[in-house]
Amino acid sequence: MHMADALISPAIAGTMYACSTAAATYSIKKVRLETDPKKIPVMGVMGAFVFATQMINFTIPGTGSSGHLCGGMLLTALLGPYASFLTMIGVLLIQCLLFADGGLLALGGNIWNMAFYGCFLGYFLIWRPIMKKGAGKGKIIAASILGSMVTLQMGAFSVTLETFFSGITELPFSVFVGTMQPIHLAIGFVEGLITAAVLVFVYESRPELLMDVNAKQSDGRFSFKHTVAILCVLALLIGGGFSLFASSHPDGLEWSIERITGSAEIESAGTGPYEAAEQVQESTSLLPDYAFKNSDSLLGTSFSGIAGSLIVLAVCAGGCYLFKFFRKPKTKDAR
Amino acid sequence: MSKLDNALYELHHMDALASRDQWMNRIHPLVKLVLTAAYIAVTVSFHKYNFTGLLRMGLYPVALFILGEVSFRDALKRLRIVLPLVCFVGLFNPFFDRQPAMQIGNLVITAGMISMVTLMLKGVYSVLAAYLLIASTSIEKICHALRLLHVPAILVTQILLTYRYISVLLEEAGRIIQAYSLRAPKQKGVHFKVWGSLAGQLLLRSMDRAGQVYESMLLRGYTGEFYYGEKTPIRTGDILYLTVWAGVFIILKLL
Amino acid sequence: MSHIYIDLEHVNYSYDTSHPVLKDITFTAREHDSIGLIGANGVGKSTLLKLLVGLNLNYEGIIRVKDIPVEKNTLPEIRKNIGYVFQDSDSQLFMSTVKEDVAFAPRNYGFSEEEIGHRVDTALKSIHIEHLKDRQIYKLSGGEKKMVSIATILSMTPDIILMDEPSIALDPKNRRQLIHILNDFDHLKIIASHDLDMILDTCSRVILMADGRIVKDGDALEILTDRKLLEAHGLELPLCMQGLSK
Repeated sequence: MHMADALISPAIAGTMYACSTAAATYSIKKVRLETDPKKIPVMGVMGAFVFATQMINFTIPGTGSSGHLCGGMLLTALLGPYASFLTMIGVLLIQCLLFADGGLLALGGNIWNMAFYGCFLGYFLIWRPIMKKGAGKGKIIAASILGSMVTLQMGAFSVTLETFFSGITELPFSVFVGTMQPIHLAIGFVEGLITAAVLVFVYESRPELLMDVNAKQSDGRFSFKHTVAILCVLALLIGGGFSLFASSHPDGLEWSIERITGSAEIESAGTGPYEAAEQVQESTSLLPDYAFKNSDSLLGTSFSGIAGSLIVLAVCAGGCYLFKFFRKPKTKDAR
Repeated sequence: MSKLDNALYELHHMDALASRDQWMNRIHPLVKLVLTAAYIAVTVSFHKYNFTGLLRMGLYPVALFILGEVSFRDALKRLRIVLPLVCFVGLFNPFFDRQPAMQIGNLVITAGMISMVTLMLKGVYSVLAAYLLIASTSIEKICHALRLLHVPAILVTQILLTYRYISVLLEEAGRIIQAYSLRAPKQKGVHFKVWGSLAGQLLLRSMDRAGQVYESMLLRGYTGEFYYGEKTPIRTGDILYLTVWAGVFIILKLL
Repeated sequence: MSHIYIDLEHVNYSYDTSHPVLKDITFTAREHDSIGLIGANGVGKSTLLKLLVGLNLNYEGIIRVKDIPVEKNTLPEIRKNIGYVFQDSDSQLFMSTVKEDVAFAPRNYGFSEEEIGHRVDTALKSIHIEHLKDRQIYKLSGGEKKMVSIATILSMTPDIILMDEPSIALDPKNRRQLIHILNDFDHLKIIASHDLDMILDTCSRVILMADGRIVKDGDALEILTDRKLLEAHGLELPLCMQGLSK
């Protein structure tokens, strides 16, 4: 789910950085107010823990494939929203720098898509309300699965929006959403299950580590059966919602299929958000460059342009090699 | 299961690269961080049909790979994570954007094809630029640069601590997985029955470790604030380097 | 007569009320003492060490370090004087480079950058690991990590050193070096360990613990050669003694 730099325009990237910075500033203020100096090392080590466990493959029964842990949801249950948000920033930054997972420019967006929803929504909308009247195994499972699914849905939707408003893809919005959301519904469910397994283990061995869980409390009246029932209802609701959404946009899928087969005109359906986004993109992109499209001298200039660029690159590369060649003997005393 | 080992290897490898005694490594981290961000921003801001302009942007990575003696092959390996997503998004452009742009013999090149290629180029460039940064700058130095950019100390401390314990926990996780797979042969991943206990054990151990780290900090006078001594001055050479590249970026963008 | 540095009177301690970990511990330690703290697993050696630096509070009885009672508000003063080496070096060393880690304590106590640099160099030099100064912690070997852990406390020039299993995970050469370092340290040191040979090489006095109590407190050679006493409390003669007694 990590956004790549190429998929985001500088304006959108800047916006996302601004959003994430605001959330981070607020979180730092909150964590400072908690004045628990122990939080700092715990955050650091738990960040490393999330990093390491995301490298472990958990086999999904009956499929042969494997899933991973939902870091944001897990951390928020252990550290609370603010500390976990800061922890996730560290994890995402290191992932992006050391492992090219995500990108420097897209980091702001990635923090928002993965850390913000997981930590803040996961906590305030799901974890805390569910744990309010006493925790229990069933409730933890429900919260983990629900949390992972909801936050991943939000994250995936944000990825779609960010890519779309960046004007990167020609893919119609509805098709993009239609692919991203169901895939992430499945991923979210699996991540939720794994996260639930870990949190239940923690609950059974060291419940005091969990947020809003009172160790002395009696096991919540939330039975396993209830959990399953609620989950089924939710799955139905979400699934139903999706089919409604899909069918209310008949132009979406059919239209795109038509276009893939290459029969329909381009402008026919481009009224909704697509055009709006195009406009946003045009007005926001740094120094927009329209020279290529709709230009009469397209053929003539572009060939020479490509050739020229290649020559420039080759000359520069050659120059660098030469420079290095002559510089070699003196490298030791250079600077 | 080799994912853990892979990550560890990558970690050590990048670190070895960053601690080389190279001219690029000696440039001030703030300069490199700012330049990398600027480069990626400029690259990404190119219009989707401006293939020639983008091609010229290759100048920066090409020059640095040669002059900085960084292995291009290692860098290419890093594309495997980003490229699939970029390809997925870009692959549809030729289908949706069929406006002809140019013709080579009988082959008509559509605008969609061009925008697909530029998108992929952008993806490749940004990954290469980030790689050049991290291959010449350690995480500590990047954190130092972040401090200079007034990123709050609490966040920078966070990043450094996470970085410090990643290798410790990767090794610990590796040992657990190894012990597990020795007793559960022919399994590709971790069976769902032990999902909780396997990762949960690691979690509890990590919590205990955090407790010890905290004690170690306390015993050495920690009161909730972290201090770092590392201070490298920005030299004229650094400023020159920054100005030259910034100039090049502007020229490439306007060309 | 040298000063009394550590003084415990009738100390009891428990993590939770039902299971007392330490029972009626009383002993004093003087300025130049070198004390080996021995006993089987789980007899409370580590707990005792942690009590001395105030990592565990809420004990019963009296603990005084250099005449200062160990209480919440005296902890900064007490910890300034005591260097504590953890069993697990990875937990002790949390900064990224050796230099930064050794500088951590002096920096927290507000020394000038110049003084910090001087202290770091002196600490590293005193145990002959100057070459590790700019190295990344995670790339060090187990033995090197232990040496750096010791350097991190030497940079505060402590009057008292406490060590929890220092020779664990050390190869013979590093262990030998550790013994030299310990013997060079002239102030009070208390070493908790199962490595009785090392205790014999570094300590003149031994405190034997069993089930949360001090069973015997006396001359190192005398206790460490008493096969019956050691075996009764889950220990064995030091390896170098085993050949002799046959």
